[in-house]
Amino acid sequence: MSLESKYNLKSPGVKRLMREALELKNPTEEYYASPIEDNLFEWHFTVRGPPDTEFEGGFYHGRILLPPQYPMQPPNIILLTPNGRFEVNKKICLSISGYHPETWQPSWSIRTALLALIAFMPTKGVGTIGSLDYTPEERKTLAQKSQNWECTTCGKIADKLITGDTASSPALTQEESSMLQSIALKAEEDANRKETENIESAEENKEKEDDKPTRCGRMAKVFHEPDSEETSVRRRDIAESGSNEPQVEVNDMINQIQPSKDKDILWSLAIYIILFLIAILLIRRIFFM
Amino acid sequence: MGDEGETMTNNVSENSEPTANQDELILAQQRQIEKEISDNIPLVGELDSVISLNKEYSTDDIYLEKIKDLASKYSYVRRTRPDGNCFFRAFSYAILEKLLCDKDSFIKFYKIAENSKNVLVELGFQQFTVEDFYDTYMEVLKRLKDIENIGEAKKELHNVFNDQGYSDYMVVYLRLLTSAQLQKEHDFYSCFIEGDRTVADFCHQEVEPMYKESDHIHIMAACSALNTGVRVLYMDRGTGNNVTKHDLPEGCSPTVHLLYRPGHYDILYP
Repeated sequence: MSLESKYNLKSPGVKRLMREALELKNPTEEYYASPIEDNLFEWHFTVRGPPDTEFEGGFYHGRILLPPQYPMQPPNIILLTPNGRFEVNKKICLSISGYHPETWQPSWSIRTALLALIAFMPTKGVGTIGSLDYTPEERKTLAQKSQNWECTTCGKIADKLITGDTASSPALTQEESSMLQSIALKAEEDANRKETENIESAEENKEKEDDKPTRCGRMAKVFHEPDSEETSVRRRDIAESGSNEPQVEVNDMINQIQPSKDKDILWSLAIYIILFLIAILLIRRIFFM
Repeated sequence: MGDEGETMTNNVSENSEPTANQDELILAQQRQIEKEISDNIPLVGELDSVISLNKEYSTDDIYLEKIKDLASKYSYVRRTRPDGNCFFRAFSYAILEKLLCDKDSFIKFYKIAENSKNVLVELGFQQFTVEDFYDTYMEVLKRLKDIENIGEAKKELHNVFNDQGYSDYMVVYLRLLTSAQLQKEHDFYSCFIEGDRTVADFCHQEVEPMYKESDHIHIMAACSALNTGVRVLYMDRGTGNNVTKHDLPEGCSPTVHLLYRPGHYDILYP
């Protein structure tokens, strides 16, 4: 069945995807993407491993899943070829793909997403979703292997891209290059954030109050908090020092507490009372409904 | 609702092993909230009397007083969906609705819109996505322009703005125009941006993405992009019994009147 007869051509989202399919019809040296047969909302793509990196010579194939609200919401990218940078068969965490919808812009496109993916490959993973931290050697081996990798739908992927100097992909627009820069920055930021998370968590907590549910990044941190490293470290400190000089330790603690003002004590008292009341209400609801 | 949220939080913190994909849980919850909103509130609602706002504040004397004051100046309110796009949606809708009653101004507006694409491309936006939004925007304007009967044109406007696809495209294009205006006059607008962000950064982070809420600076730029003025009536729990009005740009004779309550814009009618 042809795509034209299957979809409501009046829907702007469908029109947009048709337009993108046309735009990306011809493979370039770096990327190729097209809708899989009879489904405009699922695409397969191939990108070339960026030169001068451990991915050089590799070909990476994957799926792009477009949400029904596309382009208002970002595409999801899933890699299928083992590459040592991203897990396969898992939605990738990239500020441009589905895990961070708040940074996606409707004026970006599938092409932008592929460019971002290529630019993102050589950056550090540092524990973000779907990231792998293989050694350069392992990645190089995988890049070599990928040349013979085949997709069950599309066949041998190394043939999907054109080679040689004859082809030149469309030049980056200003918007795109600034976007690619911000992606790199985002990656850096993410890396730093992991390290400074504990320090920031107190401040984040304050901010949380006026935060809206749309900011998944911040919320994630809030959710992490109960088990933050900081508290466990502190616990360990107390345990260690407790065996040595308990007296001094307690005195120190008292000294620290005193200047923190009665206000704080009042507040925590109030919070305990409220928690207690909530507990009572919950118990009442459970047992006396 | 509140209880559900609480159990959700508890579950998450209990399972907070590093392997658990918390982003996914958060997103699922977020989607559910969004779905509830979109199931219950139309993108742009029907006309309702200003007094109907009372229902939302039945126990809040400060708001009730202010609604009384608002009702002395305006008769009707048209609610919009609180999805972060409310200013852009309300503003677009209200302007077009006004223009439908004044054919000459509509033609003028149409001409300005027709020439707006090149500015965006010059600023470095991807040509083919800009064209995508521009084409849909012009298609809607043309459709409205060609309807002779004002009543029917208004009906069509209402339908278009409640069709998620079209409605969002209208919002995107106004966001792009606003971003272009900010970047064109970046010297002026940079004074209004906090922190060390450039105007371009600000546009990429706060103007162009969907669902990002609007501030004063968005409104000023949007007004100047469409060459029009807006009066915003502020209603919050601040002191006094009156709503405060702000004309943007200052001293203009506003074509559009919006009601602002913290975090949200609706359209007002005399």
